[in-house]
Amino acid sequence: MPDQAASVELTFDAAGHSVDAIQRAAYRFSDRVSCEVVSGETEHRCILTAVGDVDPCAQVADFRTEVLDQVLRERIRAETEPIRTMILAQAFSKTGVVDPPGPA
Amino acid sequence: MSRFRQLEDFRPEAAEWELLPFRFERLNGRVLVTNMVGEHLALTAEEFDQLAEKRLSIDSPLVRRLRAKHLIRQPGDRSPSTLLALKARTRYRRLAESTGLHIFVVSLRCEHSCPYCQVSRQSSDRERYDMSPETAERGLEMAFRSPSSAIKIEFQGGEPLLNFGLIEEIVRRAERRNRDEGRNLGFVIATNLALLTDEVLEFCARHDVNISTSLDGPADLHNKNRPRPGRNSWELAVEGIRRVQEALGIDRVSALMTTTKASLDRVREIVDCYLELGLRGIFLRPLSPYGFAIKTKSYSAYDAERWLDFYREGLAYILELNGRGVPMTEYLSSVILKKMLTNREPGYVDLTSPAGIGIGAIVYNYDGSVYASDEGRMLAEMGDETFRLGHLVADSYEEIMTSEALLAPLEESFAPSAPMCSDCAFEPFCGSDPVYHYATSGDFLGRKPESDFCRRNMAVFKYLLEMYESDASARATFLDWAG
Repeated sequence: MPDQAASVELTFDAAGHSVDAIQRAAYRFSDRVSCEVVSGETEHRCILTAVGDVDPCAQVADFRTEVLDQVLRERIRAETEPIRTMILAQAFSKTGVVDPPGPA
Repeated sequence: MSRFRQLEDFRPEAAEWELLPFRFERLNGRVLVTNMVGEHLALTAEEFDQLAEKRLSIDSPLVRRLRAKHLIRQPGDRSPSTLLALKARTRYRRLAESTGLHIFVVSLRCEHSCPYCQVSRQSSDRERYDMSPETAERGLEMAFRSPSSAIKIEFQGGEPLLNFGLIEEIVRRAERRNRDEGRNLGFVIATNLALLTDEVLEFCARHDVNISTSLDGPADLHNKNRPRPGRNSWELAVEGIRRVQEALGIDRVSALMTTTKASLDRVREIVDCYLELGLRGIFLRPLSPYGFAIKTKSYSAYDAERWLDFYREGLAYILELNGRGVPMTEYLSSVILKKMLTNREPGYVDLTSPAGIGIGAIVYNYDGSVYASDEGRMLAEMGDETFRLGHLVADSYEEIMTSEALLAPLEESFAPSAPMCSDCAFEPFCGSDPVYHYATSGDFLGRKPESDFCRRNMAVFKYLLEMYESDASARATFLDWAG
């Protein structure tokens, strides 16, 4: 049986993937692979290193999917941040943040 | 000329719908989408892509489902945000109420010598291991300082019936005090029932005291887990349960089981044992990584996966029983289903965020030390006082409730701002357990990818959702449990 690689390198286009999204994905995978992110102007390099006897190559496809999901989560967070803040303000205050006092 | 305008005229001119805050997780080809308060839908991958890419027409049936679950709204429609705010406020209502469960450890002494027990002493030294009346009075002062409209006082040990005189005293004093306070006051004695007497039963009947006991299943299993002189722990527990049911009523006694390695292949027998005793609910819970359970290696005897097999088999059997018309509840599932299917927060301290330590339940130890949770005092018995909040005599209520020992774990473990939890679709169903993570990984937050707490809870959530979506009979039972 061939030796498995101790690490594998991936690249992500910097225009479409933030470092934050890659780091969040890396955290989710941290029981299987450790991840070093080297960010550049046009691309982010990501080196996945095995934790224990995990084959890092076998994690690549799932890791890429997770990074894409994190990019989507980032977009949803940004898009819904104002209404999220407004809902929480309305939930926890009686200051009329949403409906300022005015004529009935 | 038509008297009515065309349907299209009533449609919004700009974007037809917009996203409300939501989180998602992929599960076996489906995508679970949850909103801020845990309302959720399981979408196909194609449906999820349509949502994410906003490719859905306002007429689409899926848009109606998404709107009904407050995952999207039409621009300018304020009712979804108002309803979400109301539901969020309902879920966090317990925070304003503060501590409702006050645990009095009236004695550390016990006549059992269970190998996994986190806290007990086989001793006759009452002076050293029993709570004094003065300490108890201070504990009551503390309990009634809580703003909670409901106060439950639970007597624990060791074996609390070894100091029954103090239990009587605390109950009487609490009732006297409550004549002015008017709280919803309740009492529970957590006892192995070996020392149950008619005097205890009469007192419990007169003062509405409930009984919580331990029952691990069939006699051989229970007695192996719970050694005592005479090797008759099970016989005494069963006799005690029957006596309580007869004297106080069938619903006035409940039982908790401890899952040891020997339990894992016997879940059906365990459930049957509960049924035979008229106990209509069981809590299929794993061992906790505290105190003597670590010292005696009981905790490391099985892993999360093995416990999950035990839980799934037990739940399947319980659902089968319900399907046959035999009512039986699995309490862990019931707590989670309440969180999944309603806006009520059941307040189970291990599955709330902020964590339930101190602000959900608090422990007054026999020696006057105050702990953030029962697990916190278990750690203390092993020499780690991280969760000791203060002392009933030396410290005021304000000092205890604002102590760094309480605030730091509450703040650091808060799930909505924790790595991985903050974007986890299961977070509204889950909780923070800073004591567990401190015990297993040395910090209050823990590293969730390596956490058995996370692994176990995620697997339970997925299993319950899968059953809810795919099995009509399970769904009916789950709705019943969720209330």
